[in-house]
Amino acid sequence: MAEREPKVVGYCCEKHGIECVNLAARSGKQYDASIRLVRVPCTGRVDGMHILRALEDGADAVFVLGCLEKNCYYDTGSIEGRKRVDYVKSMLSQVGIEPERVEMFNASSSMAWKFPEIVSTMTDVAKRLGPIEPRGDRQ
Amino acid sequence: MIVAERKPLGEIVEMIAQLHKVTVIGCRSCVAICLAGGEKEVKMLISALKLKNRKEGRKQEFDGFVLERQCEKEWVKEVDDKILASDVILSMSCSLGAQTIADMYPEKVVVPGLNTAMFGVPEEQGMWSEKCLGCGDCIIHTTGGICPIARCAKSMLNGPCGGSSDGHCEVNLDIECAWYAIHERLKLQGRLDLLEAVRPPKDWTPSHSGGRRIIVREDAKLTQHQKRGKEAVI
Amino acid sequence: MKRRIQVVICRVCSGAANVLDVEKLLRVANEAPYVGSAIAVNYACNAKTIAQIVEEAKSREVDRMLIIPCSKSDVSPALFQAYKKKAKINEFLMETVDLVGEIVLPHRDNPARAQAKAESKLLAAITRMAMLEPLQKSSEKMRTKNVVIIGAGVAGVEAARQATQAGMHTILIEKSDKEVKAPGVVMPKTRLVSAKGHAGNFILTIEAGEKRETLECAAVVIASGGDWSDAKGPLVQACGAKPLYRLVQEIGEGIISREGVVIVDTPDPKADITSAQDFAWEDAIQSAIEIRKKSPETEVYLLFQEMRALGLDELSYRDAADLGVRFVRYDKKRPPHADPKDKSKIVVIDSVQGQTLSIPYGGVYYASIAPNPDNVSISEALRIPMTESGGLRRGSMQKGPIATPRPGVLVCGSAQFPRSENISRLEGRAAGALAAQLVSTGIVEFGGSVAEVTPDKCSACLTCVRTCPFEAPFIGNAGKAEIQLQLCQGCGMCVGICPSKAIELHNYTDDQLSTETASYIGGDF
Repeated sequence: MAEREPKVVGYCCEKHGIECVNLAARSGKQYDASIRLVRVPCTGRVDGMHILRALEDGADAVFVLGCLEKNCYYDTGSIEGRKRVDYVKSMLSQVGIEPERVEMFNASSSMAWKFPEIVSTMTDVAKRLGPIEPRGDRQ
Repeated sequence: MIVAERKPLGEIVEMIAQLHKVTVIGCRSCVAICLAGGEKEVKMLISALKLKNRKEGRKQEFDGFVLERQCEKEWVKEVDDKILASDVILSMSCSLGAQTIADMYPEKVVVPGLNTAMFGVPEEQGMWSEKCLGCGDCIIHTTGGICPIARCAKSMLNGPCGGSSDGHCEVNLDIECAWYAIHERLKLQGRLDLLEAVRPPKDWTPSHSGGRRIIVREDAKLTQHQKRGKEAVI
Repeated sequence: MKRRIQVVICRVCSGAANVLDVEKLLRVANEAPYVGSAIAVNYACNAKTIAQIVEEAKSREVDRMLIIPCSKSDVSPALFQAYKKKAKINEFLMETVDLVGEIVLPHRDNPARAQAKAESKLLAAITRMAMLEPLQKSSEKMRTKNVVIIGAGVAGVEAARQATQAGMHTILIEKSDKEVKAPGVVMPKTRLVSAKGHAGNFILTIEAGEKRETLECAAVVIASGGDWSDAKGPLVQACGAKPLYRLVQEIGEGIISREGVVIVDTPDPKADITSAQDFAWEDAIQSAIEIRKKSPETEVYLLFQEMRALGLDELSYRDAADLGVRFVRYDKKRPPHADPKDKSKIVVIDSVQGQTLSIPYGGVYYASIAPNPDNVSISEALRIPMTESGGLRRGSMQKGPIATPRPGVLVCGSAQFPRSENISRLEGRAAGALAAQLVSTGIVEFGGSVAEVTPDKCSACLTCVRTCPFEAPFIGNAGKAEIQLQLCQGCGMCVGICPSKAIELHNYTDDQLSTETASYIGGDF
């Protein structure tokens, strides 16, 4: 059987976040296809619940991509986004799940190099940790 | 309001480990306002517990919802069937809500998801501080509106202890000395003379020391004649 | 509601044809629930094609449309408008999927995976599409064409000129009673007290002399400038250092000292400096050049820790150096100071060369401009956040360099941080023009994909009220949170933080987001 491809969900803001993704694409960057981008108007819209639900629904890792904190389209949205991510991380570590499965990133619309980096960080995490399932089953 | 915070998830997991059908009940009142036990926290908790179970290959059933006020029987009654159908109630309310359910359903296991911490006020978004101990005999009119019972670590009644330094408390330098604050406040109001009167030792019987407190308003209580059904049975 | 979706794939622009199997995508779309029609066209932006798509939309009775074009930003809004009008589709039931940016370009090396991913993405988008609700925008008329400008300095006057030229009615509020040459109404000895309302319809309370009055306006331009009063610092006491604008005045009047001019960044060189942009370096360099041109025998020194001239003003570094202006970088641990033996000299250690210089001077000037202390009350009244150094903070650069986070309020000149005269003038012009652009529509549009409270679930905890950067939520008469639609920008921050899950963002509800995510995760690729 072919090796299982990881599943990574990325909640991406429609302002700087998606522009960063677009610019990366248009500057010819190639990255792993495991990323599933879901658009949100602002990372402040992301609720810890969405992140946990995505993990429940089978994602191996989830990231949130928003504007730079000092240059957020909605002024403070990406700061809120980071707080939500941090809270989820603390919950995960309390139930024995690797908090690095969840991460917050910031980028501006001109940072084309950043998105492939984010993708490789998150797919590496997803590949290394595998799906959330009992250890014994993964031999 | 009552301020609570969620127990460490490890503790919660342990409390419900042996039980299969878990019903998580939050409360829309104080604990929702202090961001500990509203609908969002209930849903996130269930998600986290499900993930934990998936990781460990364990199976549990979860249901979760929020009541208007968990400390009142009428609201709890509305979810009677759901409570009866579960093996354990994980209360995401203050201990009052948890105990209300525990008293109403003595045969059910009720476990607390939150630690009820204090009567506090939101100083700013995400920060609450204790300002009342519920001693049952309020004296803040004599202390510039600052409660020395709750805000002094030693509940001193007649000025600060020797540990007050630079306006800070010796128990924890991050908290202010209540008596220093009282002095400053009264000075501002030009009422420092209030500090000259010596307060006799406090009568703690209206507080918890007098035993569990029960407050009755005869004019509000329903008489035997007004009661119906189970409530009418003495 | 019908919930019938039309899927339109643009073969050419999407570039999909090179990597993806468009026919297979169409099959996948056609088999998906709620899809009433799935077609591929060659140019989605071509008038003929639009007619064809609209025809198809009508005959299949679809009520929503999923377009897969080149990329969202490349589809002109006009195209959307055409579909909306001709096919009578609600604008909130039309979305694009950026297959190019998200899949075709970044995964073109792996077409098999790209195809599988595109199919999953399409299904996830269809899942989302089926859940969308039609929304309506509302609008109200602007009651006035007033543009209120706070501060009659360089920037403020320029803003007034520009806005008046564009047909606006400007009202310049100036706290002092200085003479102001500007078009429109000028109100001396007036200050802003408070503000209510939203972009398009603000109601300001101003204090003119002893009198308080209300003033309606459609846009506000803050041009409060910096603090022009003399600063404190060791160089002021020891060498009589003066603010830079005095040097500019003196040059204008032809008073140039022959004994040498020293321009230093700050009169208190030991203090912490937040950033190089806190100084009017452009003006400093220009003044130095002027002096050297007018009085070649005058030695000019620029003492600095960090220097940054904006834009084309960078070229003036060389002009200045060519004219013999001396640039001396110093370390704040060894700050420039008056020579204890000879007060007519400044001693500075050049941190680059390591040399100790003893500079005779006729005048010392500092390039820093302190933030205007009035910024606090302006920030309070207009609810604009402040910078750490006491200026008024601008919003995201995506909204332009002179926009504050609050719609309808613009900030120009030294109100943000010290600006040289030229830049203040340019910014004032921009602010005037942008204010005019905003006001000229005469209509305030709001609503659509905005937040809405379910009162039954609200605990009135104030979390949304405290979190929203636009101050749209408030606790209404019913004791529950309400959203003032004219202020809501649709970011969803309140939705994400509400502990009672009492707020939803239309078309980005929890259910819609989680279902779309689950659908996308469900795809194997």
